[in-house]
Amino acid sequence: MNRTALLGLLLAGWLSGCASNVTLDPPTIPNPLLKQIPMSIGLRMPENFQNFVHQELVYGREEWSIDLGRSNAALFEQLFAHMFAGVTVLGPEDDPQLLPLDALIETSIDAFEFSTPGQSNTEAFAVWIRYRLKVYNREGELVSNWPVSAYGKSQSTTLGGSAALQRAAILAMRDAAALMIMKFDNVTQISSLAGQSATEPTPAVIPEEAESGDSGVQATALEGSADETS
Amino acid sequence: MLLTTMVSTACVTSTVQDTRTGVTGIGEGESIVIMAKSYHLGNETEMKYIRCIEKNLSKGKNALNVLPHDQFIDSLFPWFEPRTAPAETKNLAKLMDRPGVADRIAEQGVRYIIWLDGDTEKVAGGGSLSCAAGPGGGGCFGFAWWQNDADYNASVWDLQGLESAGTVSADVSGTSFMPALVIPLPFIARTQSKACKTLADQLHSFIVQDETA
Repeated sequence: MNRTALLGLLLAGWLSGCASNVTLDPPTIPNPLLKQIPMSIGLRMPENFQNFVHQELVYGREEWSIDLGRSNAALFEQLFAHMFAGVTVLGPEDDPQLLPLDALIETSIDAFEFSTPGQSNTEAFAVWIRYRLKVYNREGELVSNWPVSAYGKSQSTTLGGSAALQRAAILAMRDAAALMIMKFDNVTQISSLAGQSATEPTPAVIPEEAESGDSGVQATALEGSADETS
Repeated sequence: MLLTTMVSTACVTSTVQDTRTGVTGIGEGESIVIMAKSYHLGNETEMKYIRCIEKNLSKGKNALNVLPHDQFIDSLFPWFEPRTAPAETKNLAKLMDRPGVADRIAEQGVRYIIWLDGDTEKVAGGGSLSCAAGPGGGGCFGFAWWQNDADYNASVWDLQGLESAGTVSADVSGTSFMPALVIPLPFIARTQSKACKTLADQLHSFIVQDETA
């Protein structure tokens, strides 16, 4: 092997060492201790939500590619199956008006951010995820638009970088699940929509402005408080 | 009761202290859980340290029944997540009223929750050590030192009375050295390990109320 080829090989090795790929396995949410809401909901998740990939160049350091895969979808399917008496996962072609549902929930990701130990000057990876939940009533009207901010942190010393980042993402998802279990009904008043599925399906269309996320209906909840049992 | 013990070894100094606010004791079939205070509160307690405390309390002839914290957190999901875990004992009564919580805790026989906070930090260092390698070999020359402080606090919550039983704290300082004359010779102060052993021993005495400790 000549000298140029050897240098090229070393350079390629060095460059590949600057890219980190993390792939998340779908999380398993433990059976929560909660009072189930007696209603049937439809769950609609956009394509990019079900195959979410976050890519970021940490300036001057390395490139990260974080593939959440089906993690988000798995989280919401499991969580809502615990929270509601009935859950129907809708495909892109399904019309919720034709199904016996009390409400429709649409999920999306507003933002995904992370920090590495080098950035935070700690030994921990941190992940922030901001989900958005839109709740529609039987008539297709947007009744709540709730941004859910979640945070997870995991130390890199025991797990190594990739595993620690995965753990931080899983913790952020669990954080989101905890927040939704605590606040979902208080914030969105979704239980007030129960019983609507008993009526005959009526044709209705989700308003375009609601789908675009520009609706004025905005729900907020106290987030980030460490002790919400009080 | 205030107990202060100063232990000095070649490079490690430790102080352990407890403050009791209630009568303790643990019966057959009762267990304890070691938890880290929430990182939402800025706590940085290392997972390695929590596992070390769990291991130390659950071994030996007077071992306590320690429930792994992951198992406890999952069994009570979502009420002991970093966002939702109670920060004060006054929140315990409301927590116990939530569906299934009191039953799940009783099933597992959990009598005490021990909340850890604190961490191990490098607080000082100095010296100079350099290494070089060439075709004929390599070596290091110089002297380096650093000091780590391990400062941990444990709050003991009694789930029988839904009240605090007291606190135990350990403060350990250790200085490590590394002289090098061709070959570096590390003299590492095992600061965090010492803090783990010290705190675990004192916690054991605190819970079983061993007055001789």
